[in-house]
Amino acid sequence: MIDRLQRILRVARWEAARAGGGVDRRTLLAALALLLVAGGVLGGGLAAGVVGLDVDRDVYRVAVDGDSPYTDAVEEAPALTGVPVDDAVLGDTADLVVFDGTRSGTVETVTVRASDTPKGEAAAAEFREAVEAHNERLMAAEENRTAAFPITVALQYVGRTSGLDEGSTLGGGDGGSDAGSGEGGDGSGDGDGSDGDSADGSDGTGETGGDGTAEGGDGGLAVPSIGGGAFRADTVGSPGAISPPFPFVSLLLAFVFLVPMNFLIQAYGSSVLDERTNRRGEPLLVTPLSPVDIVAGKTLPYVAVAALVTALIAAAVGGGALSVVAVLPVAMAFLGATFVGAMFARSFKELTFVTVGVSVLLTTYAFVPAIFTNVTPVALVSPLTLVVFDLQGEAVGLGEILFSTGPMTVGAALLFGLGLGVYREEDMFAQKPVGRKFLDALAVRLRSVGEAGTGSLRSRSGLRALAPVAVLTACTIPFVFVAELLAVALLFALPVTVSIPVLLVTIAFIEEVAKSVHLYAGFERDAFARTDRVAVAVGVASAVGFFLAEKATAVVQAVGLTELYVGRAAFGSVAGAEGLSPLAVAVLFFAPLLLHGFATTLAAVGASRNRTYYVLTLALATLIHAAYNFGVVRLYA
Amino acid sequence: MIEVEGLRKTYGDFAAVVDSTFSVEEGEVFGIVGPNGAGKTTTLKVLAGLVDPTDGEVEVAGFASDDPEMRRQLGFLPEESPLYEEMTPLSYLRFFADLYDVPREAANERIEAALDRLELDHRERRLGDMSKGMKRKVAIARSLVNDPDVLVYDEPASGLDPVTTNSVLEFTHELRETGKTVVFSAHNLYHVESVCDRVAVMNEGRIVARGSVDGIRERHGETTYRVFTDVSPARTDALVEILGDRDDLDSPDALDAAIEEVGDRFRTTVPTMDAVEAVREAAAAAGGEVVDIRTREPSLEDVFLDIVGRPMPGRYTGGGGVEAADGGNDGDGERASDETRPAEPPEGAE
Repeated sequence: MIDRLQRILRVARWEAARAGGGVDRRTLLAALALLLVAGGVLGGGLAAGVVGLDVDRDVYRVAVDGDSPYTDAVEEAPALTGVPVDDAVLGDTADLVVFDGTRSGTVETVTVRASDTPKGEAAAAEFREAVEAHNERLMAAEENRTAAFPITVALQYVGRTSGLDEGSTLGGGDGGSDAGSGEGGDGSGDGDGSDGDSADGSDGTGETGGDGTAEGGDGGLAVPSIGGGAFRADTVGSPGAISPPFPFVSLLLAFVFLVPMNFLIQAYGSSVLDERTNRRGEPLLVTPLSPVDIVAGKTLPYVAVAALVTALIAAAVGGGALSVVAVLPVAMAFLGATFVGAMFARSFKELTFVTVGVSVLLTTYAFVPAIFTNVTPVALVSPLTLVVFDLQGEAVGLGEILFSTGPMTVGAALLFGLGLGVYREEDMFAQKPVGRKFLDALAVRLRSVGEAGTGSLRSRSGLRALAPVAVLTACTIPFVFVAELLAVALLFALPVTVSIPVLLVTIAFIEEVAKSVHLYAGFERDAFARTDRVAVAVGVASAVGFFLAEKATAVVQAVGLTELYVGRAAFGSVAGAEGLSPLAVAVLFFAPLLLHGFATTLAAVGASRNRTYYVLTLALATLIHAAYNFGVVRLYA
Repeated sequence: MIEVEGLRKTYGDFAAVVDSTFSVEEGEVFGIVGPNGAGKTTTLKVLAGLVDPTDGEVEVAGFASDDPEMRRQLGFLPEESPLYEEMTPLSYLRFFADLYDVPREAANERIEAALDRLELDHRERRLGDMSKGMKRKVAIARSLVNDPDVLVYDEPASGLDPVTTNSVLEFTHELRETGKTVVFSAHNLYHVESVCDRVAVMNEGRIVARGSVDGIRERHGETTYRVFTDVSPARTDALVEILGDRDDLDSPDALDAAIEEVGDRFRTTVPTMDAVEAVREAAAAAGGEVVDIRTREPSLEDVFLDIVGRPMPGRYTGGGGVEAADGGNDGDGERASDETRPAEPPEGAE
């Protein structure tokens, strides 16, 4: 074991040296020096306050008297810069001139003139906002807050109830029509509050639900203003100053973690493909190292770099260990997908498409759900959400960490396993289309079944030959889960009338492909005899494998995903079945097995014929599965 | 040292190797020859453990071919050996020695010895800056870093210039003297004849002849006599009878076609000394005489033509006793069966 580890480390050292050797040492040092200088200048500038990101600073020149009460407003607005009013020439040295006029009692007349240009109009608008903001600040500083703000509105975002009404969205229920009303003191609701969940008044001020008003009945997009999570508004000021629950800064910082991955996979993919180009890696296959040792050794430096960079970024942006723990599975998924892509690609041109595809897909998967970090538990499908939580200083449970990182971790491991299936001389150097390579990678994990293989299907050896079918199907569960979660995240914001049917068909398609694509590979690569008997046997084996593995997805309940309507739609089979008789529960428990058995056998019979039959039977199986899903959703609804 | 029994390797419907059986003794140099697609490279890759056999038993140095331990006893040189071009010969060879767990001191000794013998001087130069011949020498040195008992070389001299080719062939010859067992394939039959103790001739995935070079030559070739005369031999009954077995003598002008004019002389090729006498009589009947008689032993090229029925692609024509062959004949050697094979071999197959 130690010898093996030493050999893996030798390969890792060699790979690191090779990767480093690709760039001239002098260039590397020059780039590093340039980076340090740039970083030093920027960091020093930021520290000294001489460098900022205020690109809209001092855009408009406002001529205002130094004694004018508007001087402070102008000075406080970054976009405005004051110029002496005496020498000001409108349209030349000033965009806006403020004339303090005459005072009549408590009323003072002020004249503001702007140049008759678009810039003048913009300067006037900016001045107006600056004055309003200045007044807000003055009132906020007032000791007598009741005098400054006679009415206080406290917003609390809460999860909405769900339903299938027209116009509601997957993220929650519809906006209720009940008017929120203040129940105490002098407060009163504004008349368009949401359903009762959030409309109970308290502490003597009117309190209304914060959400529901925009969505009720109009079918509009619900995000990101719907409630959920622990977000509470703490803004004091006018309603216009209230921000939606969008963790922009944390999200932006979390995104920084993804940026290096895109560069890392370029280097890694090139290195893997380089082994395959002109059979360069063939001598390695003749050494005592196994393919697993070689791939582990080649991958190790890139994992180390990913870990190092992630830790550095975490330290720089104020993240902790949770950020590193959350991002590493993403890095592994990036590397795993790139490894498979590089094993399937025939050229560096194809590899480019692969790496771009990997970048886009995984960035989407990681980033899009994280946008809803403070909105909905759906966000937890992405490990990046944990980073956002970490940066916000919120506590995260172990179950949530496992839920967020588990699918990607297992998925990355399976991707490496898939690629390793073709890490052998017969497949590694063959110039086959990606699709054929994919089928090869699947078929290599199967055993012969039927006439070409181990005899009777009912014999022990026959059953043993079917076991890899079930195992391979079970291995697809993380990918199915990831794909379904991604579908949920992407369809989350659409109106239910659109999203639910699309989601049900999408999920059915994902599952039917997962259950049958390796069966097609088995028939195409002659691992399975092309008989109906064998097709039924492998179809049932695949269905059993899927059924058993699917039950493992019960983990979704641990994080409350099934509290969402969409969660129940996607993972209804594992959600609670309260109120049903034991018989009904048993039927519901085993019904998916019957569905999977029938649908997968159907697709397997098609796969045993040819590709056209497989596509047709797969489509039919998808429709049957989707109809079943719809029935389940109606039952739970 | 090597035992192959009933080896069969298929890629889908395509049979790359069919029922191959042979053995190689310790310290022997064994050649595998055959045209493109004959199954040579696939056979060697099975021996090297790179390709799993579809059927059959393969044992190398006492280990099954899929046993990782077997790889410690084996050095493999693929037909094409692109190296890691950013490395130097020394760093490249040391890296492979490390993978075989060779102690650093022993590795250095072996590497130096191999590079000295192969006359490779530029040991700190980037491999990417080296010529093809130099890279080939580095690849050969790589096959020796673990001091293997068995060496499997696929076309070791392919694409090299004559000087480097001779150097590589001499080196291969020396390996036998150090007790190594060598199996190698070649298109060029001269290479095989000059180095190998025994050969196997492969065609369409099958071994169609096997044995020592002399033995195969004896079985599948025949000595011929070239009789040079100063006039074209007359059409005598004896000459027609002797040459009558030849297919090309079934036309009225056939005899003339069988007699070649070479400069100011006429050459008649006949199989026996009796035939030589018949030619002498025919020449005398035409008023001339025999001016020269030469004996010609069959080359492996001729044997190959006899067995396979078609010439070797890229055959050696630069001397060394092998003459360009033209056309094939039916011969009477073992022939490949009429087993159906697809027109194009799939990827990965030789």
